[in-house]
Amino acid sequence: MNRNRLATFWDRYGTLCILVIIVALFSALSPTIFTKPDNIVQIFVQSSITILIALGEFFAILIAGIDLSVGSILALTGMITGKLMVGGVHPFFAVLIGGIFIGIVLGAVNGLLVNFTGLHPFIITLGTNAIFRGVTLIISGANPVFGFPYGFITALTGNIWFVPAPVVLALAVALILWFVTAKTRLGRNIYALGGNREAAYFSGIDVKLHTLIVFMISGICSGLSGVLSAARLGAAEPAAGQGFETFAIASAIIGGTSFFGGKGRIPSVVIGGLIIGTISNGLNMLQIQTFYQLVVMGSLIIAAVSLDRLIGQAR
Amino acid sequence: MAANERATRPLVEMKGIVKTFGGIHALEGVNLDIYPGEVHVILGENGAGKSTLMKILSGIYQPSAGEIIVDGHAHTHMTPTQAAQFGISIIYQELSVINELSALENLFVGRIPVRRSLGFGRADQGLTKRKASTIVEKLGVVDWSVMEREASAMGEKLGLNIDLRTPIRELPIAHRQMIEIAKALMRHTRVLVMDEPTSSLTNVEIERLFSIVRQLRQEGTAIVFISHKLGEVRAIGDRFTVLKDGTTAGTGMIAKTTNDDLVRMMVGRTVKQYFLTEHAIARDRAPVLRVSNISSRDRKQVVDVSFKVYSGEIFGFAGLVGSGRTELMNCLFGTMARATGRIELNGHDITTRGPVESVKNGMAYITESRRQTGYMPNFSIKTNTVISRSVKISAFRGLWGLIREREDAAIAEDQRKLLRIKCSSTEQNITELSGGNQQKVLVGKWMCTAPEVFIFDEPTRGIDVGAKSEIYKIMRDLSNEGKAIIMVSSELPEILAVCDRIAVFHSGSIAGILDGATASEEQILSLAISGKGE
Repeated sequence: MNRNRLATFWDRYGTLCILVIIVALFSALSPTIFTKPDNIVQIFVQSSITILIALGEFFAILIAGIDLSVGSILALTGMITGKLMVGGVHPFFAVLIGGIFIGIVLGAVNGLLVNFTGLHPFIITLGTNAIFRGVTLIISGANPVFGFPYGFITALTGNIWFVPAPVVLALAVALILWFVTAKTRLGRNIYALGGNREAAYFSGIDVKLHTLIVFMISGICSGLSGVLSAARLGAAEPAAGQGFETFAIASAIIGGTSFFGGKGRIPSVVIGGLIIGTISNGLNMLQIQTFYQLVVMGSLIIAAVSLDRLIGQAR
Repeated sequence: MAANERATRPLVEMKGIVKTFGGIHALEGVNLDIYPGEVHVILGENGAGKSTLMKILSGIYQPSAGEIIVDGHAHTHMTPTQAAQFGISIIYQELSVINELSALENLFVGRIPVRRSLGFGRADQGLTKRKASTIVEKLGVVDWSVMEREASAMGEKLGLNIDLRTPIRELPIAHRQMIEIAKALMRHTRVLVMDEPTSSLTNVEIERLFSIVRQLRQEGTAIVFISHKLGEVRAIGDRFTVLKDGTTAGTGMIAKTTNDDLVRMMVGRTVKQYFLTEHAIARDRAPVLRVSNISSRDRKQVVDVSFKVYSGEIFGFAGLVGSGRTELMNCLFGTMARATGRIELNGHDITTRGPVESVKNGMAYITESRRQTGYMPNFSIKTNTVISRSVKISAFRGLWGLIREREDAAIAEDQRKLLRIKCSSTEQNITELSGGNQQKVLVGKWMCTAPEVFIFDEPTRGIDVGAKSEIYKIMRDLSNEGKAIIMVSSELPEILAVCDRIAVFHSGSIAGILDGATASEEQILSLAISGKGE
């Protein structure tokens, strides 16, 4: 019984516990810099992009699939948005077209390919990841695009009230998607698809339509993070977002999303994204070189998921 | 019979076996003795403790109390290795052959023989496991000739005429099962446990299996046979032990016990109406469902099938496994592509392209595999119950709208009461239920979509006697309400007792339609096998 309660507790608050442990660890190692209020705000800002793409990735994993193309969708949407703005399109419309619309289109390409070929999303998005990156390089000539309107950068890097805009955006998207998963029939159907695709099909759920929607959601999330990333850097980099799928997948998995599909919660994924952001920030504060950071990050991901599995097995 | 001349000492004796899982008693003092050269049948409803007992016998579980006496030596527990050394083998319902390997490799899994020399001359050797001593042995070159020799000898004994190099996944289930039996026998098996071995076999294949079982019995192997089907229990069994709620409810000679007595021991009450024998007379009424000229896209699995289902009747589909019955149901429901066909419900065309429209048009399909095409394992009873209804009533192909918690809970609760689903609450996960209760949840899931056409595909597969008769009653009630009920079943006694008319399927089309009240098993079988009447 006691074990059972631990497992239930862990199911609900496990991800939060990992976050607390990691924050405690870094606070002890770097008491002066890491815990400064400025840095805390910085962690949230840094985590917003990770959280955004993790939210999209969450849906792809929820249907027992995966989206490996999030990083290159981020780059391509950022690039298109940047080009539009430099070409004189008003930032608002540039974001609407370049970020949101192109994000949806690229996600739909993934979804349609998965539906049409019947191949596992791993293969499809492995391919489209390369394709989207290639297109980004082609349209940019491998050069970064900068010189964005001032308003674009201030709007997306400034504060809305006291909260940094990227944080507001990430949390707003999280809130909407949480509502979709927890309260709507669409969300429930997606969970059904993840739990047992065949049974969902025989129950009258339109599995192809829902698969398409899932990849479109992932596309919007990556598209929005592409816009954010362009604003943060002040430039649309053709190499932006490279390797981000690792962080997105890690956030979703640390957040307890099951690789087998059908299990996972949005709030835990947000915390998962925060964990990744905190680790990255903490390592910076400890002045660990980027190359070593990757090693530490990878190890921490494995450790966090192993811990989760270990406690989950107590059931 | 072998049972009469059996040895005086049992091969294995299990005495007062108790097994608890975290405070819950799965077994409370079960006794079982197994003699050489007998077929010992274990009967019991789902959840009676049959599988737990077998897992203790094979050393997978350790008993909480009690002892296992093998060859006169008492053990308080056994390890899987000890059980295997003693010669206890179990063939589970879900076969454990490795699909990607050949039949030959499967037979030798874990003890593949290794060549001793690399010369062209045959190095003759047995399969006894010993430490590799020469460099050649350490190389681990597989000795195919030894494997083939031993395997073909065993294949001959079991009458298994197949190319042993075929990958398992290309073999029919019956052959895979034979491979499992061969695998067990090649490891010196004295007690062979078979857990519902006939559930996916055709009648011809069952006969083959039984003749092998008889042969093994003759040779002195003890066979423990777990089954739900009283007919086959009677055909093959010598003695029986009935388990009920984790205790031994009875044991004795099968020949001296009536079916009624067996059923009473299993359920603790007489099930007089094990089957509902009342047949509806409905021919004068109008047909509810009219199916014309259905063919599958390949025009092979289902070929130009037409039939009508009248109000108030249960229309059955009998036939051999693989004759295309399930494919026809999939063509009706839209989960398999059609070349031609038209489906009319009360005169309205409801021919659809896919399951989404079929559900909207009032069709319900209780599929033959609960685990594969039935329930979502990540959902509660409640969500599994309401999911199809939610799809049916929502706009935009079933995705629009908010979840109505209270409404869903009320609907699930209604179905729980109506179908008498045994659970602590509808919030419980569906995987925690027994097979029979899971099946009821799936029936409930379709009932709350208020359909006009019900397709029941093998609705009682793997569920216990009590739940079976409840499922029959539900089907009869639905049919009395004027719904069109189609039932596919491979169990002849069941289909004869439940269905008012029976269409016998043979290689993709209806070979004949019989009257359920007058048809005999022989008539059905001859149609199913030859496609022609006697």
